Amino acid sequence: MGDDAVFRIAGLTKAFGPNAVLRGVALDLCAGEVTVLMGANGAGKSTLVKIMSGVHRADRGAMMLGDKPFSPASPAEAMRAGVVTVHQNINDGVVGALDVASNLVLDRLNGAGRGLFFNPRRVRREAREVADRMGLGIDLGAEVTNLPLADRQMVAIARAMAHEPQVMILDEPTSSLSSNEAERLFALIDRLRARGVAILYISHRMSDIRRLADRIVSLRDGAIAGKFEDKPLDYEGAVNAMLGQNLAQNLGRHSIDARDAAEPVFSASDIRIAPGARPLSLALGAGEVVAVTGLVGVGKTRLAETLFGIHRPVAGTMTLDGRSYAPRNAADAIGRGVFLVAKDRASTGIVPEFNIYENMSLPFLPRFSRLGVASRRVERQTARDQIGDLKIVCRSERDDLATLSGGNQQKVTVARWLTQPSRLLILDEPFQGVDIAARHDIAAKLREGAGGRATLLFLTELDEALETADRILVMSENTVVGEHRNADVDMDRLLADVAGRHHETARSV
Amino acid sequence: MDSRMAEKSSVEAPRPSPRLSAREVAIRYGFLTLLFGLIVFFSLATRGFTSPQAAVFILQSVSITGILALGVTATLVVGGFDLSIGSIATSSMMAAAYVMVVLEQNALVAVLVCLAIGALVGLINGLIICYMRVPDLLATLGMMFLLIGLQRIPTEGRSIATGMTMPDGSTAEGTFSPAFLALGRHRFDLVIDNLVPASVVVLIVLAIVIWFFLEYTRFGRMMYAVGSNERAAEFAGAPVRAYRIWAYVISGVFAAIGGILLAARLGRGDIASGNNLLLDAVAAALIGFAVLGAAKPNAFGTAIGALFVGVLLQGLTMMNVPYYTQDFVKGAVLVIALIFTFALLGRRAR
Amino acid sequence: MEISRRLLGKMAAALAGATMLLPAAAMTQDKPAPFDNPGDVEIALVRYLSTGDFFQAYLSGVEAQAKALGVNLRVLDSRQDAALQADMVDQAIALGVDGIIIQHGLTESMKEAAQRAVDAGIKVVAFDVNVENEAIPQIEQSDRDLARLALEQAIADNGESWKAGYVYVAGIAPLDRRDETWREFKEKYAGIEEVAMFGTLDNPIANSVANQARSVVTANPDIQVMFAPYDEFAKGVKIAVDEAGLSDSVKIYSADVSTADISAMREPGSAWVATAATNPAVVGEVSVRALAMLLAGEEPGKSVIVPPTLITQKALNDGDIKNMEELAQKLPQFAHADVAVPAWMPLPPRD
Repeated sequence: MGDDAVFRIAGLTKAFGPNAVLRGVALDLCAGEVTVLMGANGAGKSTLVKIMSGVHRADRGAMMLGDKPFSPASPAEAMRAGVVTVHQNINDGVVGALDVASNLVLDRLNGAGRGLFFNPRRVRREAREVADRMGLGIDLGAEVTNLPLADRQMVAIARAMAHEPQVMILDEPTSSLSSNEAERLFALIDRLRARGVAILYISHRMSDIRRLADRIVSLRDGAIAGKFEDKPLDYEGAVNAMLGQNLAQNLGRHSIDARDAAEPVFSASDIRIAPGARPLSLALGAGEVVAVTGLVGVGKTRLAETLFGIHRPVAGTMTLDGRSYAPRNAADAIGRGVFLVAKDRASTGIVPEFNIYENMSLPFLPRFSRLGVASRRVERQTARDQIGDLKIVCRSERDDLATLSGGNQQKVTVARWLTQPSRLLILDEPFQGVDIAARHDIAAKLREGAGGRATLLFLTELDEALETADRILVMSENTVVGEHRNADVDMDRLLADVAGRHHETARSV
Repeated sequence: MDSRMAEKSSVEAPRPSPRLSAREVAIRYGFLTLLFGLIVFFSLATRGFTSPQAAVFILQSVSITGILALGVTATLVVGGFDLSIGSIATSSMMAAAYVMVVLEQNALVAVLVCLAIGALVGLINGLIICYMRVPDLLATLGMMFLLIGLQRIPTEGRSIATGMTMPDGSTAEGTFSPAFLALGRHRFDLVIDNLVPASVVVLIVLAIVIWFFLEYTRFGRMMYAVGSNERAAEFAGAPVRAYRIWAYVISGVFAAIGGILLAARLGRGDIASGNNLLLDAVAAALIGFAVLGAAKPNAFGTAIGALFVGVLLQGLTMMNVPYYTQDFVKGAVLVIALIFTFALLGRRAR
Repeated sequence: MEISRRLLGKMAAALAGATMLLPAAAMTQDKPAPFDNPGDVEIALVRYLSTGDFFQAYLSGVEAQAKALGVNLRVLDSRQDAALQADMVDQAIALGVDGIIIQHGLTESMKEAAQRAVDAGIKVVAFDVNVENEAIPQIEQSDRDLARLALEQAIADNGESWKAGYVYVAGIAPLDRRDETWREFKEKYAGIEEVAMFGTLDNPIANSVANQARSVVTANPDIQVMFAPYDEFAKGVKIAVDEAGLSDSVKIYSADVSTADISAMREPGSAWVATAATNPAVVGEVSVRALAMLLAGEEPGKSVIVPPTLITQKALNDGDIKNMEELAQKLPQFAHADVAVPAWMPLPPRD
């Protein structure tokens, strides 16, 4: 592609401390093309975006904008040079308290050499020009806070376009939009493309990617793992490159004895986990470990939290042990024996001011208490048992959580839910931020104790699923699109499911 | 994060550890040492500081603010704040006076009315904060203003005392019942006759009750969990809103008890905003963060914090230090305690 | 009911042929203009401070005297907002009132507003605020006299030589004026030894002062006299003295009085033996009367001082006085001040 590229990156590296995030990235962006950047969590996407938009500076490597070197010292400098970024958080891109017109010309109001006074008519005229150029059909006098998310996103993009950029970076712009809203956004992106802007589009949503991509670049572990430019685009290949490992090899290495469920424990029939989502059904049995996989943002966490009573399904019914199951909150779920090891332990798992045994006993304090008084002796004994079982490295059960490593903190949050018998144990990304050894400890413990309950894991990383589960379900667009027994997995079909190709036809049972 | 975090010393019996560094010792025992030093200093510098009566008096002087501080500790534990405690206390004082002097009811009715007012105001605070999503500081600030005004309405801004003239021109004939006044004035014998005032007994009992509640019951533990990580508590099945509402009810009831003791001590219902009570109580609770290096709201620390302020003010007054210097010293102690808590302990501010 | 002078006057008026319902109309013939037609006269009370017993009683005095005169009264309350108070004076000017009473406020904010009112031909009197204007009489309760009366009683009770505790907070104008008298007494009587000075305005004031006073009496158990020239201070000192069990050895002298103070002074064995006070209702009446004299073209004097009364525990007990009303009935010098009373002036009824 070299010749008509307006933006070139070569040999870009960046490390935070000992942590190498980018290891020599090379990337070209061409005028009038949408280049989709795919990458798993931690692949280095956001670092790359931050370097391009002037938030961070690269350690090594070069960026060229047109034929001039480009090394912005600040986001404002990048913007002036012609590289603008629309961030994932929509409200970072607009000022809620102002009307649409002021938002559209906000950056001009700040520029040097502007007059002291604010001329509303002139602002309105300039804003009208910007809006017309972008085909933005929004009332310029409306307050931004009163607009729907999609319109806010449009305003943010139109505002970015007011700089006449050569390069526009869109970081997961559809992550909080409905599909109708997204379609309006795509129409806008089509107009930008027609105007010759080079667009770098970062997303996990396969439907977005299929709709927009001219080229796909997969990033893995800080390096480009694949470029796909030949039409028709090889979406599965891109997903495979992004997930990276040679899965077939892994299969052999981590193969497990796939077990079948003994007796049915939990079933959901035709539940819809979000408005507009297609219904999904699943059945889980005692003794089996089932992994749900899929790209980021396909509704895995939503499903996990729905099963745990944090959200209620829009439609459909669930049964547990043959009885209807409709939890109104987490306490209901826990009462029925449905436990959730939630994703992101820092925000939903650990209580930082509590020590290990206090953290472990948290959901089951009533069971550790008599007449409301907590029995520390029992709590501590239980915690000591778990510390031994899960090989948690600490001085004693009275250590503060903050003194533990990430892996050991994660073990504590998992152990919390293992202290009591459960019917359905759900774990949402239990291996996030956990080293290999801790991951193996946790997985082994999960499989070992799986006998009396159904275990449901939500995992973005495919090889984690292959390593721990008896059965693998694949989610895409808020529903389950495929099912695979972890014995002789057809990797092509699995990747195709992840990439969302079959979601029109394939349904899980 | 390092090993100094390992020794979390709330109010559990401190476990001797061979690895306490000088810094850890300073953090853990610094404030208690300072308190002891102050007592020694005042004992040497003034006459009559070291006597059972003086010691009991210090407790008496902090009993009302101490009780309010224990209440506000409960709201701090769930990550909230209650600015209305001062005005709840003065409203409770006015209500007690109104019930006895104007409505001519007995002491029991007065006490029950006050407690009901405290619980009701706390409940309303909690509901506004949890269900209307008004930030705690703003909700309780509004409640503070509301109560300052409300307590004046029944008497059209007059203070309440026996024989007062009512807005309609009649005279209020009721009196403060002796049983009620005893709450502020009765003294129990302890070694020496007539040594310990009832208000000190109330303070000590409430301190023990709230300390036990927060440290040893599952409800207290859950309240700490709610304050430390609300989402984690929710995911552990805790009814987060209920715990937060209960915290405000506790705070309201404690403030009402403070108001009852205030009324019993003054023997009349004085129009007052209660802002000084609020500030002193909050200061005591915040100083409590630094006690034993807890770095979190805790009942034992709050009690020590209140005692600290009491010792300081008693000593300074005995040395004839003017009142404005005392405010300065109080503020300085608070600032030092906060620095102690947040800088030395290296923990994130709440 | 006691037969008072006003009652006699009222009966005389009734006998003269007027109905009791229209007492003002009955006296029109005797009164100078504009009070021959008082319904057309409008006066405004512009207040800076309004909450608390003192200010309530003051207002009731103003209302009573205005009613006796038969004039219309308009009350404007700025609630401690100095700028608003000045605006309210302008508002009163715009309303076309005949007279204005400025009650408290700050010299800086009121001086020019008062001048504007005078320029507009409106008669103005000021209570407890110095507006630095020759045309505006000052109504004052004499703080120096208050302190003097209380201290003279202390000398009479305890001789010329005693150890004293003194409650004082600097910067409050009435307290500063009372403080001047205390200094004079200390100079005059070398035997008075001030062993401790304390005080605070933290509210509830009585509670905060009680805590301080308790420390002071613990440190200085030999104090004989507590001079607390403000009743909230005295109340706090009394609580502390009671709690310390020193009611027999300490005597409290104060200023100001209220119903609650009366019951505190009359408690058995109370250490609070005397207070000097001006009746705020009387001050309110005097304010209106002084303004009425101005309106009638008479001269009330540059400074109208309402004299205080000494109220002793003994007098309260002897008269079995339980509240302010009874105090007014049984201590006539407290109920009425012969200040600003020209012959034509109707006085409010007292029952």
